[in-house]
Amino acid sequence: MKKGFMRTTLLLGIVGLLAACEGDDGDDGAAGPAGPAGAAGAQGPAGPSGTPSSVSREDVVRTNANIAYSAYSDSLLAAIFLQDALEEFVADPTQGNFDAAKDAWLASREPYGQTEVYRFRVGPIDALLPDGTIGEEGDGPEGAINAWPLAEALIDYVANDVDGDANPEVPASTASITDNIIADAVTFPAITTDTVRDNFELGGDERNVSSGYHAIEFLLWGQDLNADLTGSGPRDATPGQRPVTDYDNTGLACTSGTGVPATAITCTRRGEYLLAAAQLLIDDLTDVTDAWNPNTPGNHYSNFVAGGDTSLAIILEGMGRLAFGELAGERMNIALLTNSQEDEHSCFSDNTHRDIFLNAKGVLNAYLGDYQRADGSVISGAGVDDLLAAEGLTDLAADMRAALEDTMLKVGVIDQEAKTGVPFDNQIQIGITEPNITSAIQALSSQTDVLETVITGLQLTTGDLRQDTEEDI
Amino acid sequence: MKVWGDLTRASALLAMCVTFASACGGGGGGGGGSAPSPPPAPPPPPEPPPVSFAVPDVATDEHLAAGDASISLMNEDAFGASPESIQRNFRLDATFKGGNAIFRNDHEGEGPLLNARTCQGCHIRDGRGSVPADTLTPMDSMSIRLSTGVDAQGAVIPDPIYGTLLQTFGLDSFRGSVADGLASFEGGSGAAIGEGFGFVEYESVQGNFNDGTAYELRKPTYKVRDLSYGDLSPDVLFSPRIAPSVFGLGLLEVVSEDDIRELADPNDADGNGISGRVNEAFDVTTQTNRLGRIGLKATVGSLLAQTSGAYVSDMGVTSSFVPDETCTTVQTTCLDAAAIEPNRHPGGANGVDISDVELAFVEFYVRLLAVPQRRGFDEATQSWDEGVLAGRTLFFESGCGACHHYSFTTGVAPGSVLGEIDINVLVPNAPDIEVLSGQRIYPYSDMLLHDMGGSCDVISRETEAGNVCGAGENCFWVQRCEGLADGRPEGLASGAEWRTTPLWGLGLVKTVNPNATFLHDGRARNISEAILWHGGEGEFSRDAYLAMSAQERDQLLGFLDSL
Repeated sequence: MKKGFMRTTLLLGIVGLLAACEGDDGDDGAAGPAGPAGAAGAQGPAGPSGTPSSVSREDVVRTNANIAYSAYSDSLLAAIFLQDALEEFVADPTQGNFDAAKDAWLASREPYGQTEVYRFRVGPIDALLPDGTIGEEGDGPEGAINAWPLAEALIDYVANDVDGDANPEVPASTASITDNIIADAVTFPAITTDTVRDNFELGGDERNVSSGYHAIEFLLWGQDLNADLTGSGPRDATPGQRPVTDYDNTGLACTSGTGVPATAITCTRRGEYLLAAAQLLIDDLTDVTDAWNPNTPGNHYSNFVAGGDTSLAIILEGMGRLAFGELAGERMNIALLTNSQEDEHSCFSDNTHRDIFLNAKGVLNAYLGDYQRADGSVISGAGVDDLLAAEGLTDLAADMRAALEDTMLKVGVIDQEAKTGVPFDNQIQIGITEPNITSAIQALSSQTDVLETVITGLQLTTGDLRQDTEEDI
Repeated sequence: MKVWGDLTRASALLAMCVTFASACGGGGGGGGGSAPSPPPAPPPPPEPPPVSFAVPDVATDEHLAAGDASISLMNEDAFGASPESIQRNFRLDATFKGGNAIFRNDHEGEGPLLNARTCQGCHIRDGRGSVPADTLTPMDSMSIRLSTGVDAQGAVIPDPIYGTLLQTFGLDSFRGSVADGLASFEGGSGAAIGEGFGFVEYESVQGNFNDGTAYELRKPTYKVRDLSYGDLSPDVLFSPRIAPSVFGLGLLEVVSEDDIRELADPNDADGNGISGRVNEAFDVTTQTNRLGRIGLKATVGSLLAQTSGAYVSDMGVTSSFVPDETCTTVQTTCLDAAAIEPNRHPGGANGVDISDVELAFVEFYVRLLAVPQRRGFDEATQSWDEGVLAGRTLFFESGCGACHHYSFTTGVAPGSVLGEIDINVLVPNAPDIEVLSGQRIYPYSDMLLHDMGGSCDVISRETEAGNVCGAGENCFWVQRCEGLADGRPEGLASGAEWRTTPLWGLGLVKTVNPNATFLHDGRARNISEAILWHGGEGEFSRDAYLAMSAQERDQLLGFLDSL
């Protein structure tokens, strides 16, 4: 009862705050109380016709901050819905509830993928300290929320022949654990949020990723074991095939993989891990969302919106670094170069096409100053495009928009291919639809060229980028 | 493969090195080796220094450590970031990030024999590796190099069966659960398992500073058991080493050879007790002889050569520069496993494991790993902490700076010989790398070889209990040394010589890897112990440290911590 009440309060709180901040975006807010009646004045001179050039750099920065709050709030809400579905499934592990839990995970990735444009700018996701202040790049919860590849062998049973590495990179880093955390009831009598958090990057090994979206993904789908279900055969079009009996709660039919009987406690502990990982995800997302809350004085939001050109510069820098270094580079080009399933972002669920599409969408959102919320409503305000127009750089605005739309077209092909039966892990294989990936990388590359001219065009010199961010933001 | 142009010169240098090593024993008498076993009685008051060492003025940019290639990051990622000018350049940022991904992940075709599956697995967060927690845990960011000596050209003579490096793991070590992934030796099973299990036992060595304060050192004994492919050669030599940190090497790589040679003083002409010798290296990537500057004995001349060498020897990943696996002709299970590897990329006679593009990504990544700025400097007032300055003076007055040479200016940093990375292809004529060029750097290393004293016994064959081990018994191969020597010459470096380790980043070593320890084999648990291990040419400085007051020691350590 108490928990349900708190959840409702939390949900209402987030929705309420968002409504309060929408006025900042240029959208119509709720009607305020009627103002005092004024006396009629004299008719003034006619105003100039045409588009008002009222969009300022501050407007763009504020819109960007408002979208951050909306997108992180949506991610938090979706994580809460995911937790609900997981609780229901663990309590009643039917196939129907299993499918619903997977759907909730997929849904939770939709808003989160669009928040990644807020990375690489010493913002809350990368640099938030436990006391709510901004520290250094790497201090924030990003890794705990979304790091990959996962150390699946640290968490649960694995098949070792999957292409790519299921194991920790430093074997001795997990020497204190027998088999894996779920199997080792001696070292870990209970699996709690502390268990999941404490084993993140265990032994200083960055590969020991134990938490976040991909831990939940692994616990729902299991490894993607290809056509022959050993992991070493040719890749097929299906994701991981974890059986629902891995969560059996009758005490009679627990498995660790299809047809592999396991003790009843194993299934119980697997459920505990799932719920602990979900709670931790919610905790971390709550911290990031709070840092972007427009109604909290002195937090990152208020510092950021007061940051002027420095903030504008880091918006553009984040767009460029996510689009090129992370998306075109690490998530697509490296996966293509190494042809490894372990190098694909959502490798268990085969949802990588959405990660790619949503990352690109996040960059477009930042440019246009638009974001469609999970409930369908639209947050819309001054975008970089409006600013370019207001500053007379209309050609540049058109070029940037064209480049971004070309990218959306190309990542849309990857998305469509996957939805029609050729998942990303198949697309990266030589001789399949590899050109789709290459052309998306090329589009992101051209987009980066235009973005560089936008940065120059807005006279945001490199001196504005990062230089003062650590003190001011 | 000719390593040195002049055979007679090499022999002369080797001969001189032997003479020199004993001469350098200094106060220790008769070949050094006194470092770990100071006399129990308080030592006599220190003699006046034979020479005085100059204290260089503090430069205005010394706090930056590496000019434009410095970063302000001070957290656990402090050794793993690129300079800001790279972060701001979307394309170079992408190349750096791509290289990081390859550095972190394993490779198709790795093994059959290996010490780690990824670069990051040894160079933890781009910093130092760790000594195993106990004698049953395998060395996974540490390894034991092998040889039976050097030939007339200074080239290492491999053990006939095990080659030049003991590989702890084989591909089949990683089958099964995580627990099975720990060096699970199945000798004689025919599986591609590791070559043997090396471990270290420590003996406590007690001593006192001149003011009576006690200290304790850990003196290592190295042992190898469970050899999979038969006995080691009777004249085998061991060199146990911890994986060093890898940041800042891109700057050291482009210090001009002349600037380094100028510091060499092989005959100690200036009579300060410190020599400094150059090692020479044949570079597989340029097919030329170069001054050796990378590696614990300065045996490698370029980062690309170091990277391709480490790929094949530590991970079993072949490349166009080093196309052959490390299996020797008698390791048939290794050869059989190698024969079925996919070798997807062009190179060598039968293809190789990693492409030139991937190698270029990793080379770029390692070259561009930035150097953390110093602590102890107040940007606002542009002033140094007084204690750090006092420690700095003590450092130089104690002669530490004679080997830990504080500053160089880098030359022009050419682009990779492989070409420039354009997304996923290599384009010839890579441009120079600006952020590494013409930078005033403060690495605190002369990159030369110095005799650090000590010597090793012949490797003995013992039973677990320490008795003579006969044929058919489960033998342990045991190395006992005095001082820092490993007794394993490499190139022109003797068994007691080491390249001066750069000290930049020293104070962040444990921030980056809390389990990291110091010196070439990680025997020193902290920086104070590392100083106390210095013998040979470092003995004068070690004695100066012993003679310091508690406050002076704090100041010196405070300075080192600020690096």
